[in-house]
Amino acid sequence: MSLAQPYVIETQGLSKNYKNIQALSSLNLKVSHNSIIGFLGPNGAGKTTTIKLMLGLIRPTSGTASIFGMDSVKQSVDIRSRSGYLPQEPHFYEYMTARQTLRFTAEFFFKGPRKAIEDRVDEMLELVDLTDKADRPIRTFSGGERQRLGIAQAQVNYPDLLILDEPAASLDPLGRRDVLEVMSRLRKYATVFYSTHILDDVQRVSDTVAILNKGKLVAQGPIEELLAGSEGVIYIIHLRGDIDSALKLIQSQPWVGSIKTSQHNEEYIWQVSVSDPAAAEAQLLKLLVNGPVLVTEFRRKKYELEDVFMQVVEGGQNVGK
Amino acid sequence: MSGNEAFELVTGRGWSRGLGNLSRSGLARWFKTRTWWIQCLIWGGSINLLLIAIAFSRQSSQTLYGLLLIFGIFASLFPAVGVVIIMQDALVGEKREGTAAWVLSKPVTRHSFVLSKVVSNSIGILATMILVPCTIAYAILSIYNKSPLSPLGFLGALAIIFVNHFFFLSLTMMLGSFFNARGPVIGIPLAILFLQQNLIDFLPILRFIFPWNLSIGLGTGNSLMFSLMTKAPIQPEQLTTLAIIIIESLLFLIVCLWRFNREEF
Repeated sequence: MSLAQPYVIETQGLSKNYKNIQALSSLNLKVSHNSIIGFLGPNGAGKTTTIKLMLGLIRPTSGTASIFGMDSVKQSVDIRSRSGYLPQEPHFYEYMTARQTLRFTAEFFFKGPRKAIEDRVDEMLELVDLTDKADRPIRTFSGGERQRLGIAQAQVNYPDLLILDEPAASLDPLGRRDVLEVMSRLRKYATVFYSTHILDDVQRVSDTVAILNKGKLVAQGPIEELLAGSEGVIYIIHLRGDIDSALKLIQSQPWVGSIKTSQHNEEYIWQVSVSDPAAAEAQLLKLLVNGPVLVTEFRRKKYELEDVFMQVVEGGQNVGK
Repeated sequence: MSGNEAFELVTGRGWSRGLGNLSRSGLARWFKTRTWWIQCLIWGGSINLLLIAIAFSRQSSQTLYGLLLIFGIFASLFPAVGVVIIMQDALVGEKREGTAAWVLSKPVTRHSFVLSKVVSNSIGILATMILVPCTIAYAILSIYNKSPLSPLGFLGALAIIFVNHFFFLSLTMMLGSFFNARGPVIGIPLAILFLQQNLIDFLPILRFIFPWNLSIGLGTGNSLMFSLMTKAPIQPEQLTTLAIIIIESLLFLIVCLWRFNREEF
């Protein structure tokens, strides 16, 4: 894949209205190569609309979406030839078997040779654990099996961009784990853009997160940055000993913003807010360990994605880039 | 797409991207499932059993001309109902079931999606609703006549039946691109199919717009199909109707392509 384009996905002022309903409002989104981006938002936030706009299945009311540097309206076929897509509720031809469905999908991308196509189909069936059901008509498949087939057909062309709309929605925990593994493995070769409600999954595999609410992008950025929270980087330190001199020492550091202190039994708990996380990471613990205190716990305060999600969705805050 | 070096890639960029694969899949649905023999059985059975019953019953006093007229009605009117039912599923069914959205998320143009339905269903209809049942009918009519009918005239008649069916195929496709409900997509073509004679009686100019006079023509003179089978002289008006029906059918498809291109999935 050419890296001439800095971003795989770049939208500018992308909007979509349905009659009087604004499904998506001026979305500006940038997704880098070989990243796994979790696309979050409550129901009706506009996630599926964004995906459909990127693939040219619907047209924007205003704005543009550029995928691989190509316009999503004028060059949608070229975009789709390099992408794989799993719809939210995958629907396939019920009379076809899983093998026939994968072969049918593969033949949109490959003319031949026949053996290579059959090998790829077998590889995909194995990947999603459907080999033993390969020749059964899809009308006999359960929801989870359809979802697995959906994941297989989305990858049959080894796409540069894999777009998954709720990939783990109807999977059991094992199936979910497998999907996350597949996504992690693909990072080397492809960019993965996926929407989900399962925040735990996002935290496990994504490197970037975008949160959409009521059609608007309310947060976007690397997951560490979002999880650091809007308060900046904070270190939690539990210590004992001569607190006063240690406090003076730490407060005198130019990269320390504020220190909140509290006490629990004989232990003191500090929340040290820092302006330069790199300097803090290199020096803070050293300064304390070499001083007159005993450090019993030292960690960087972490937010769970759920906290961030609730904060931006319910609080209406904008976070990230 | 790294990892695809072993493949010969599909690289076409024009309007027909995906047409071959979609048409093959559509044909497989006709001929690699039970569909083909079920259709052959329905139309081969219904047309020919009725023809045999009328031709060879003891009370029958039918002339060959009468039988050819009856054949024209059976072969044009009844299968056209089947054409409408099959074709409403081609677009409306796929839109409602979500398979159209899935297919169109692949490197396929919308023109290819629509045209593959036209190609595969036209071939399926031609084979199972015209060629197979009408070949049997040709044998029955020849036996009744005690000598073979003109094969060229009969082939011409089959072509006219195809034009008749293609009119309803393209009309149903066009309606399917406008509506998401099955009701109007089935109802409008069937209303035209069964009410065209009354409409022509009411407004004679409509004889050029509806295909009634191509293959049935009851109450309005000889049909073109009947003229071909009986080697009767072909009237200029019959050819005008044929030309208009072909143009209308193509217009229906052009409108269908235009409308389907604007559809959102």
